[in-house]
Amino acid sequence: MVLLVTSDNEQFVVEKEVAERSVLIKNMLEDVGESDQPIPLPNVSSSVLKKVLEYCEHHRGEPLPTTDPTDNEDTRKRTTDISEWDQKFITVDQEMLFEIILAANYLDIKPLLDVGCKTVANMIKGKTPEEIRKLFNIVNDFTPEEEAQIKKENEWAEDR
Amino acid sequence: MASSSTSVSSPPMPPANADLQTTWAYLEEGVDHIMTKLQTGVSYSKYMSLYTVSYNYCTSSKMHSASEGMSLGQRTGANLMGSDLYNNLIKYFMQHLKTLREGAEGLQDEALLKYYATEWDRYTTGANYINRLFTYLNRHWVKRERDEGRKSVYPVYTLALVQWKTNFFMPIQSKQQKLAGAVLRLIERQRNGETIDQGLVKKVVDSFVSLGLDESDINKVSYEIYKEHFEQPFLEATEKYYRKESETFLAENNVQDYLKKAEERLREEEDRVERYLNTNTRKGLVSKCEHVLIREHSERMWESFQNLLDFDKDEDLQRMYSLLSRITEGLEPLRKKFEEHVKRAGLAAVSKLVSEGGSGEGSTEVDPKAYVDAMLEVHHKNSETVSRSFRGEAGFVASLDKACRDFVNRNAATGNSTTKSPELLAKHADVLLRKSNKVAEEEDLEGALNKVMILFKYIEDKDVFQTFYTTKLSKRLIHGVSASDEAEASMISKLKEACGFEYTNKLQRMFTDMSLSKDLTDQFKERMQQNHDDMDINFSIMVLGTNFWPLNPPAHEFIIPADILPVYERFTKYYQQKHSGRKLTWLWNYSKNELRTSYLNQKYIFMTSAYQMAVLTQYNQNDTLSLEELMTATSISKEILTQVLASLVKAKVLISDDKEQYDLNPNFKSKKIRINLNTPLKAEQKTEATDVLKTVDEDRKYALQATIVRIMKARKTMKNQQLIQEVIAQIAQRFQPKIPDIKKAIDHLLEKEYIERVEGTRETYAYLA
Repeated sequence: MVLLVTSDNEQFVVEKEVAERSVLIKNMLEDVGESDQPIPLPNVSSSVLKKVLEYCEHHRGEPLPTTDPTDNEDTRKRTTDISEWDQKFITVDQEMLFEIILAANYLDIKPLLDVGCKTVANMIKGKTPEEIRKLFNIVNDFTPEEEAQIKKENEWAEDR
Repeated sequence: MASSSTSVSSPPMPPANADLQTTWAYLEEGVDHIMTKLQTGVSYSKYMSLYTVSYNYCTSSKMHSASEGMSLGQRTGANLMGSDLYNNLIKYFMQHLKTLREGAEGLQDEALLKYYATEWDRYTTGANYINRLFTYLNRHWVKRERDEGRKSVYPVYTLALVQWKTNFFMPIQSKQQKLAGAVLRLIERQRNGETIDQGLVKKVVDSFVSLGLDESDINKVSYEIYKEHFEQPFLEATEKYYRKESETFLAENNVQDYLKKAEERLREEEDRVERYLNTNTRKGLVSKCEHVLIREHSERMWESFQNLLDFDKDEDLQRMYSLLSRITEGLEPLRKKFEEHVKRAGLAAVSKLVSEGGSGEGSTEVDPKAYVDAMLEVHHKNSETVSRSFRGEAGFVASLDKACRDFVNRNAATGNSTTKSPELLAKHADVLLRKSNKVAEEEDLEGALNKVMILFKYIEDKDVFQTFYTTKLSKRLIHGVSASDEAEASMISKLKEACGFEYTNKLQRMFTDMSLSKDLTDQFKERMQQNHDDMDINFSIMVLGTNFWPLNPPAHEFIIPADILPVYERFTKYYQQKHSGRKLTWLWNYSKNELRTSYLNQKYIFMTSAYQMAVLTQYNQNDTLSLEELMTATSISKEILTQVLASLVKAKVLISDDKEQYDLNPNFKSKKIRINLNTPLKAEQKTEATDVLKTVDEDRKYALQATIVRIMKARKTMKNQQLIQEVIAQIAQRFQPKIPDIKKAIDHLLEKEYIERVEGTRETYAYLA
């Protein structure tokens, strides 16, 4: 069992196997050695950690992605498919989605990071720039010249 | 439980958006703690803070540029913050290593190595830690830099190694290879018999491997540092050390002791690789040692080889073999010397036999058994040497075979004739297979036959052996003196295995004839019992195929004695009925008879030849006969008849005073009831060997002609030289043909128009269908 402490000072007691889905925590336990000290996670809030732990709990025991970057990077990137459970899991509001992505990045949980990023990618897919701006609440700060330039550069990607 | 209440006083964790100065100040304190005082421990919260701070620093910059919109300058903007941390790390490592370098100053040899190893352990452990704390830097900033081609940017752990190499390792090495030198001196001390700290050597040497860096792929191991800074000087030192040692050792000791020494040293060096060097060094080290320890002294080893052979130094021979087998061409001189040695031994053994046996007498006929045993002993002894000392290596087996072939075919007993050995061997086999042989035990006989086969393998003129063997076998069968059918069959199957079906075809046919004859005799007897009651003669017959048996009919007439004439006629008739068209030739000269005496008080049984019988039956009518009368009555040639009579006179069955008149001895007496009068005639014995050889010569002529025709039929045309070579190749299994004989055979075939000369050429023949 390890004791995790969130930025808003809430404590979570989790099984080591579950916590170690985070490569950060796994490496630290390896380096520092096990003890009953609490592990502070200054970049994660309790609401997000709860969600992340739900994911870790579900995927416990699965093989961790290898550290060798050449190995499965390509297959990982190529597909935007998301498993049924993950799909349900990631159906959250936009704010939470981004928080989960950030936490996965911070805690180094590659599969979760992938699920988050794929979800965002699926949201963008098939939309016009204007629709995307609206979706993510982005202010268009291009000058008309810049915009024309970019359009021209990316003409090849147009679906016509 | 008791969590530390006295938390290490450290600055508070900077906020997520802290600037570089604040961030690095916090990180540097943590990094230094890990690099210098890791043993005091790191708390989870310290670890997480350090990670979080470096993470925040790297991500915060990205967040900034992202919030500023998808600008085109985004690519460079994201890189700036990582490089600051990276450069600060470099600065830290350089400073840290400067301190270490100062600590190494003034240290020498083992002390230096100890310092180096301790610091290496501490440094690499710390660097591993830091590498993980900066995972985020590695994963994003470093990866991006490298992806964009800046290969001098490394992941943090690799960076630490590169820094160690340039700021610690190289400066020390640049002082007369202080580090490698210290290692080499330690190894030399071990070679001199001292005990050293092998773990220390291993640690230092391993660090050399770790410092190698493959610039194109940092995940790969590169041995450049290890090779340049350790392996090369190590191999040079090894060469120098062993050159000196082996020369000194050989100056004071003999080769046998040196072999032991070299073997030991080679083993030690292989052990050394196992214990504390990189396995890649094995090949280079071993071949260097082999060169200095073996190659450079191979001449002396070769020279002392004979001596070891002469005194049966098995262990030393084995040692020399295994050492020399490690270098190319190292064994060849041994194989040659061994071949000569075996040949000498074989020739000497036969010479000794000849000089012992032929003391005085002009014609030195060696005893077949002694001859065979002498050669077998030489073969056995040296074949043992091959398997024991040379591990049955094929080259030595070939040397043994070649030497044996030489001395088996040409030695003091054979002179220039290659037919003597097969003759003696066949005679020896005959003795073994006879009833009279004392080697009664089946196993021993089988073993003895196997030994015959050992020598048989070396016989060049296998056809001579075949002919002698056939002759001897036919005698054994006709006279019923073969020890056992099983042994005979076993020997034939051995010969068949060695030379093929054709070689033993005749021999097998002879056995078939024997069993057919037995059946025939039985059938004939049965028939006679049905038709005639007056058969008072016990009769058995052997009907033998002319082509398979080396037997000749008598050269003169023979008047069949009246007493056996009825049986003779009945059988002839019976046989003609059974197999009409077959011609029966009666070989009286091989027949045997048993006669019961009725003219003496005591009844005796005389075992006689047909000729003796023919003579003796004449005395059923007369007590006195002249030579002339006997010749007329039997029609036996005078030359043979006188011998027959002489044998009867000698046995005192007949009495003769003047060689012209022979009387029956009425007072014949013998202790035995059965008396064997049938001693072989002198003339027969003498002609046997020459007859056999004559047969062999005839057979060879035909064999040569048949082979030539076979080759020409397949090739149609062929040049003279080619043809001769092909013939030699094909026939060598049977005998070694002489070139003039082949030429004679070719001429004969030209004459008979089996082949012709191709027009316009002198040298080319064509096959005529």
